[in-house]
Amino acid sequence: MSKTKNNYIQQRGKPLLQRKDIIGWLIMLPTIVLFGFFVWEPLLESVILSMHNANGIRLEEFVGFNNYIELFQYPIFLKSLVNTFVYIFWSLVIGFFTPMILAILITETVHFKSFFRIGVYFPNMIPGLATVLMWRYLFLPGDTGVFNIILSKIGIEPQVWLNNTALTIPLIIVIMTWRGAGATALLYMANIGNIDPGLYEAATIDGANIFKRIRYITAPSIFSLGKTLLIIQIIAVFQILYEPLVLKQGGPNNASYSIMMVVWNYANRNFDYPMAAATSVVICAILIILSGLYFKITKTKED
Amino acid sequence: MFFEKYRKKADGTIRFYDLHSTKTKILCVIIFIICFLIIIVALFPPVWVFLAGFKNIKEFTNHPTILPEKFDFTVFFKTWKQMKFFRYYINSAIVVAGSIICAVIFNGIMAYGLAILKPKGYKVIYALIMWSMLIPATTSMIALFVNISKIGLSHTFIPLWLQVGANAFFVLMFKQFFESLPKELIEAAKLDGCGYIRTFRSIIIPLSKSIVMVIIIFTINAAWSDFLLPYLILNNSGKETVMVRLYMFQAGSTTSVDILRAVVYSIIPPIILFLVFQKQITEGAATGALKG
Repeated sequence: MSKTKNNYIQQRGKPLLQRKDIIGWLIMLPTIVLFGFFVWEPLLESVILSMHNANGIRLEEFVGFNNYIELFQYPIFLKSLVNTFVYIFWSLVIGFFTPMILAILITETVHFKSFFRIGVYFPNMIPGLATVLMWRYLFLPGDTGVFNIILSKIGIEPQVWLNNTALTIPLIIVIMTWRGAGATALLYMANIGNIDPGLYEAATIDGANIFKRIRYITAPSIFSLGKTLLIIQIIAVFQILYEPLVLKQGGPNNASYSIMMVVWNYANRNFDYPMAAATSVVICAILIILSGLYFKITKTKED
Repeated sequence: MFFEKYRKKADGTIRFYDLHSTKTKILCVIIFIICFLIIIVALFPPVWVFLAGFKNIKEFTNHPTILPEKFDFTVFFKTWKQMKFFRYYINSAIVVAGSIICAVIFNGIMAYGLAILKPKGYKVIYALIMWSMLIPATTSMIALFVNISKIGLSHTFIPLWLQVGANAFFVLMFKQFFESLPKELIEAAKLDGCGYIRTFRSIIIPLSKSIVMVIIIFTINAAWSDFLLPYLILNNSGKETVMVRLYMFQAGSTTSVDILRAVVYSIIPPIILFLVFQKQITEGAATGALKG
């Protein structure tokens, strides 16, 4: 069989696909099918689904952009869109710099260094849902909540924490940072480790003190990595779901309602899959525009 | 002496020659103390959950203390039995086991194609995979769920297993590693008459044990922690994983202390995994993911 194939290919001189190519494609085929089913096709399917009416999972009629129009008139969706930008703001304030600081501090230690590395990464191993549940009890209002117990030791009144609408989103970002900062810090530490030690020595000879060396050598290096991690972080913030859902069901007073919660509630509460898909498509479109803008801005700055 | 070890320090800013000033010495000590505080912050919540699990509901809601009155392990076993955790552990274990197999085989053969076989036009697939990394998986979750239901695979573990086989990060990690393998070995295998599949199975995989290990560890953690797709697919099927059950407990009328004990059970396996493979995990997180 393979011999005849070889002959056939040789007869045609320069074939489009050689035997090696065909086998290569055949070996990759199963995984390509999986990527098609789990990654690529659902993206198209989301768009199709969002333009139909459906009864459960059965599509009924084509309705064009009606679902989108309905979505943009849905007050909770608009509120969640605004909230998303509040989430992004706080994640920039709290979440962006924390890993950098952790990385710089741990790099400067010589004792227990690997213990610090491992310890700081540890929260990342705790499943997202378990993390949120844990923090829900840490932030319990009233005098039996853990943080209130600690506060009472230093003479501060018990706080209501997540029930305070002004604090809900920042506290959610604190939880996310607690879990995620260590993993990002390891990336920054690897980055700092790759800086040529000669640079520091040369700067020292030129009379730069420790803070100047951090400012002019360490900081530029980690910020160039930070630029890439920033957009990854923003994409992650757009997908916040467990935290507001499990902590306060998007409350208090919809103050923490996230855009993914809109998708969740359409799908799991109303079983309205077309509306859920429409919301997903809007999120996806926003993210593509944001990433595009982001890469354009960072590129022009470099030139 | 505390400062003697700084002699060998070759990364970061502070060097041994900086330590002639007392100010820098104090700074080093302060940094050291801050790092300890950071670790306390990182470790406190899980430790607290474990401690709070020993309290009974009255103690939990009325006593403003962090430590429980007594350490009685039987309350943990009671919750384990009451919530039928054994069954959910088994379900999660089945999901994890299938995911490991799919993660290694499917992402491995894809990377084998992209890094070594390189059939004509492979760059198209590579570009598609790179692109799909930019688009968050959750945005297509609903359509994926509808598709899975249509072909009748909801309420089964199959989609959860196969889903891991289409992981762009794993493909890239494998690809990076395969490209670093010595080409001569693969050529030699070819001359010895090894077929393409045999080359993969008996030459490449044995040489790639370290990366396979990293991918297995990350798959275990991801499959154990995954919630969204398992919830959509397994909800009310009797095949719920630990995470799906945990969500249902907290949304139901379970008492706080029972939920806290359930949280403890849900984080024990990842913690054990971490304690055993801390080196591979932190190294994989620092290098593998960055290259991808």
